[in-house]
Order: sequence, then structure tokens, then C-alpha cells
Amino acid sequence: MAEETFRTETKGMERYPGLTAFLEGWGIFRQSLLGKIGLVLLIMFALMALCSYIPPLIDPMYNPMTGVDPVITCSTGPSRAHWLGTDFMGRDILSQLLAGARVAFMVGVSAAFMSIVLGTAIGMTAGYMGRFMDTFLMRLADMIMVMPTLLVVLILAAVFGQLNIWTIVLIIALFRWPGVSRIIRGQTLSLKQRPFIEAAKVAGASHVRIIFRHIMPNVLPLAFLFMTFRVTSAIIIEAALAFLGFGDPGTVSWGMMLQWVWKTGHMFKAPYWLLPPGICISLITLSFYMLGRAMDEVLDPRLRKEDQTD
Amino acid sequence: MDSQERILLKVEGLKKYFPVRRGFFQRTAAHIKAVDGVDFAIAEGKSVGLVGESGCGKSTVARVILKLLEPDAGRIVYKGRDITPLSPKEMKPLRKEMQIVFQDPFSSLNPRMTVGQSIEEGLRILGLSKNRRQGRRDELLEMVGLSAMTADRYPHEFSGGQRQRVGVARALSVESSLIICDEPISALDVSIQAQIINLLKDLQDRLDLSYLFISHDLNVVGYLSDTVAVMYLGHVVEYARADTLFEDPRHPYTRVLLSAVPSVEADLTSKIKTLKGEVPSPMDPPPGCKFQGRCPLVEPRCKQGEIDFSRVGEDHLVRCWKAT
Repeated sequence: MAEETFRTETKGMERYPGLTAFLEGWGIFRQSLLGKIGLVLLIMFALMALCSYIPPLIDPMYNPMTGVDPVITCSTGPSRAHWLGTDFMGRDILSQLLAGARVAFMVGVSAAFMSIVLGTAIGMTAGYMGRFMDTFLMRLADMIMVMPTLLVVLILAAVFGQLNIWTIVLIIALFRWPGVSRIIRGQTLSLKQRPFIEAAKVAGASHVRIIFRHIMPNVLPLAFLFMTFRVTSAIIIEAALAFLGFGDPGTVSWGMMLQWVWKTGHMFKAPYWLLPPGICISLITLSFYMLGRAMDEVLDPRLRKEDQTD
Repeated sequence: MDSQERILLKVEGLKKYFPVRRGFFQRTAAHIKAVDGVDFAIAEGKSVGLVGESGCGKSTVARVILKLLEPDAGRIVYKGRDITPLSPKEMKPLRKEMQIVFQDPFSSLNPRMTVGQSIEEGLRILGLSKNRRQGRRDELLEMVGLSAMTADRYPHEFSGGQRQRVGVARALSVESSLIICDEPISALDVSIQAQIINLLKDLQDRLDLSYLFISHDLNVVGYLSDTVAVMYLGHVVEYARADTLFEDPRHPYTRVLLSAVPSVEADLTSKIKTLKGEVPSPMDPPPGCKFQGRCPLVEPRCKQGEIDFSRVGEDHLVRCWKAT
């Protein structure tokens, strides 16, 4: 009886493909402590990123890059005007921190998204076409996978001088697809053998139709799961790069803030300046990781706890 | 073989070998002779049953006929036209006439498509308008005993039997005249099996369909088929009308198969002949009769040379010396 009422309730929603699956997934996600912590942290950072637009509106001196407090000429601790203090030339650390959250999201999400799109496309092509294409693409993936991304970006930065933040994003994406494509290829290989693909062929479906209508919808959840892990690695790479002094000098990222602390010799003198960006980098990567782990549980029934009756 | 009736599909000397690759350079070391000489014909509106144990190549025959796999030798003649050399593009217009129902109702439907979308796919490829597609879809769902309301549901909301009905509806969606049923009931509960068989039989009467019914269950094949081909290790060993085969099986393998059919009468169970030994590897079958290693009637001449069909009655062919 209960099931009957459930059916009638969800009937309207079933017209929207994916919505029922989403709600089902959300039910499982909600039970994961890791996922909840991750989500709360992530919402916090998202709010920080949104708030980053506010300080420059209050006073131009709160502009994270160019705003300088006219009365301050060296790094000062927290005060009423600067809640987290100022850096060596009197810029507000709080507004820098907020701007850094925006940059972290931008870098993390866009680099991850690009590498996922690339990895999924290449993985599906390799898995579906097989033979020569498979061998070629996978050996290419192997070659890129063994290259240390950070080192390659450092070399590129050394060769081409200062890199624009979008160039950095693009390079991270270009070096981070092989892991995704391997997973997607494996999934495609297994899907390719399923009878519903044969049924589509018997119905006269073209290869393009089979790839986009039958294989892609079945690998996308996995691709998005990997996106959360890729976000983490993209943020870390960008931070490391900026800290080492190869970041985009026109962007205030947390890595950049750490670099300023270090370069101006405030490493052990100004904890109010050193700690916030450091903690933020750790927490944002942690939150994406926890989110990914929780989503893993949603997508892979084998990882679910025993007591969940379904 | 069938003289007066119009032949819909004729398969002659069909062979399919799968290469076994070994070593660093992936050289072809051997071939698995999955299908090694299969002949049969299906008349319009009739059914042919293909029986045999696991691994004898039944499903490969189905896939080769549908050109999902390319045959290595032999001819597939559909409505008098040799479709063996057709390219995938040339096959496309024929796709709507030859359909398949799969064994496993769980993996034969795309989990991310509603059953309606799955049923409509063939029609969409044919370019039907949305209205006509949906009309046809609802009609098909009703035809296989499901409600038209279920079209928006996803496969995971259905039971195995219901999914198999959806699979049948999908096979019927286009103007199918030949439906290959690849063990359509072996993954279902016994109670559901009967429903699906009755559905298939009923649809055949209503729509004048031809079936190639693949199964390892002789009872089911006997009930549904007009003609039965018994397969062993890649080729057909006996070919006869269903009633003839049950009354007068000639090949020793067929006899063993028939004696193994479960029966309600208890005293019959004691007479089951069990076969000794294993099925030889399809990579390297013995010369001569493929059944020689397990045959109770084996004699020296069985081990030399290919054994051809001998006619033992009207429409009754057997690949055995002893049968004549």
C-alpha cells in the first residue's frame, strides 16, 4: 500500500528523466557524514566566493589587488578596519582571502570540467572504436599520465614567462584527462558488450547515436564523480604554482598570498597572514574530496553500508 | 526442405570462427570454431527451434544472422536475397524486418532510457513523427500486456517478466517479420516463462511472425517450433519436424537430450542416459563425427572424414551413420 502511494506521488516527477534518480541518490548522500561535512564546507566557500564582490564596493581600499590602506605601510594584525589584518603594503587580507575563494572555484571547476570533457570524449572513442584507435589513444594517455603535471607546468612557465590564469587552467586540463579517460574507456568497453547496444544496432542505430544516446548517459555519472577529484588536484596544482612564483601575477589566489608571505619574509612573523590561505587550501580540497567519496557511495552500490534497506 | 511454403530465411553452411590471439604480437594462434556448418530454413509464419547445450554456438548463429557478427563462410538468404555480403549501410533497410529478443531482460534495456524510449528507438530511426511513434508505442505496450501508462517508467521499476515483455514490444515495434528469440525465457521464473511463451505464440498467430527460437529447453522448443535443429559443437546434428523429432529421434545426441527432459512421471527418471566425458574444445574438434568421444554407438568409421547429412524421412536429416 505504501508503495502504491509512493508510485502515485512520484508519477509526475518521472516525466523528468534523471530527477527520480537524483532524489534517490540524494537520499543515500544524506546518510553519509563525510558528504554532509564536505557539502557544508563547500557551501561556506561558495558563500566566500560570492562575498568577494562586496569589500571593493564598500571602499576602494578593500580591492584585493590594487586597494591599499593609505595609513598603513607595513603588515599589521587584525583590526577594526581590517578584520584579518593587512599585508606588507597595506592590502586587506580578508578581501584577498575572499577573492582567493573565487579564483579557487574558477580554476578548480573549469580545469576539472575541461579535463572531464576531454577525458570522457577520448575514453569513449577509444573504448567504442577499439583496435588501432584504442591502442593509440591509450598509449598517448599513458605517456601524459607519467609526466608530473607540476613539473611540466613549471617548465612551460619558465619557457614562456608569466602564464595567464586561463593558460594555467588549460594546461592543467590538458594534463589531467588520462586518468578519466582510462576509467571511461573501461566503462565503455563493458557497456559495449551489453545486449541493449546490440538491440540498438539491430534497430539500425548509427555509431554516433549509440555513443551519444546509449553509452554517454551511462558513463556521465562516473565522469562527474571524477570531476570532484579533479577539482582538488587542479586547485593544489594552481596553489603550488602560485606559491613557487609562477602564478598569474594579476590574480589573487591563495597560493599567491602564500607566496607574498614567504617572499616578504613574514612566514613566521605574521600568522594572521600565513594561516588563512593555508587553511583555506586544505579545507577546500578536503571538502571536494569528501564530496567525491560520498558521491562514490551513491554511484557504486557496493560501497553502501549494509543496514541501508532499499 | 519445406517445399510448398515460402521460405523467409535460409541459412546454408554458416561458419563463424573466432581467432584466439596469443603472444606479444597478438598473432592468431588458433580459431574457436563457434559455428561450423549450420543449415536450416524458416518458412513464413513458422518457427524453427535451435537446441543445444551451452557453448554450442546457438547465440552466435543469432548474431551472425543479424549481421552483428560477420560470417566466415556460408550464405544467409532472406526473402530470396543473399544478405551475407551486405554492408552495414545496405543492411539498414532490412533492420526493421529482423529483430531479436534477448536472454537477459536486465541488460537488454538501457537503464537510462524509459521503456517508451527503448521501444520507440527503431521507429525514431525510421523517421516516424512523434505522434505516430507514441501511438505505436502505446499500442505495442498494450499488445504485450502492459499498460500504456508505463511508457514513462525506467527499466529498474519493472520485474524480469515485465522487462521481457518490453523486449518483445521493442522487437515488434518495426515491421518485423522474423524475430530471433535468443533464450528469451531462460532468465525468468518458471511461472513467468509460461506467460512469455504464450505471449510469443499468441503474437505469432496474430501477426504472422516467423521465429528462430533458440533454447536449451527441449520442452519449450517442442511447444513453440514447427521444425527443430539440434546443435552440437557448432553444427547441426539433426534436423526434423518437431513431432518427428520427439517421436523418432535418430541421432544419439538427440536421444540423450530427450531422455534428459524432466518429466512428471517418476519411473522415467531412472532411464536418463547420462553422457560420459566433456564436450571437446571448439578450438580443436576431433576429425570425423564431433560426437564420437561421447557417443555410445561409436565405431571406427566415425573417426574419419566429415559426416554428411543423411535423409531418414520426409524433412528429417541426421548427421550419423547409424541413423539410416
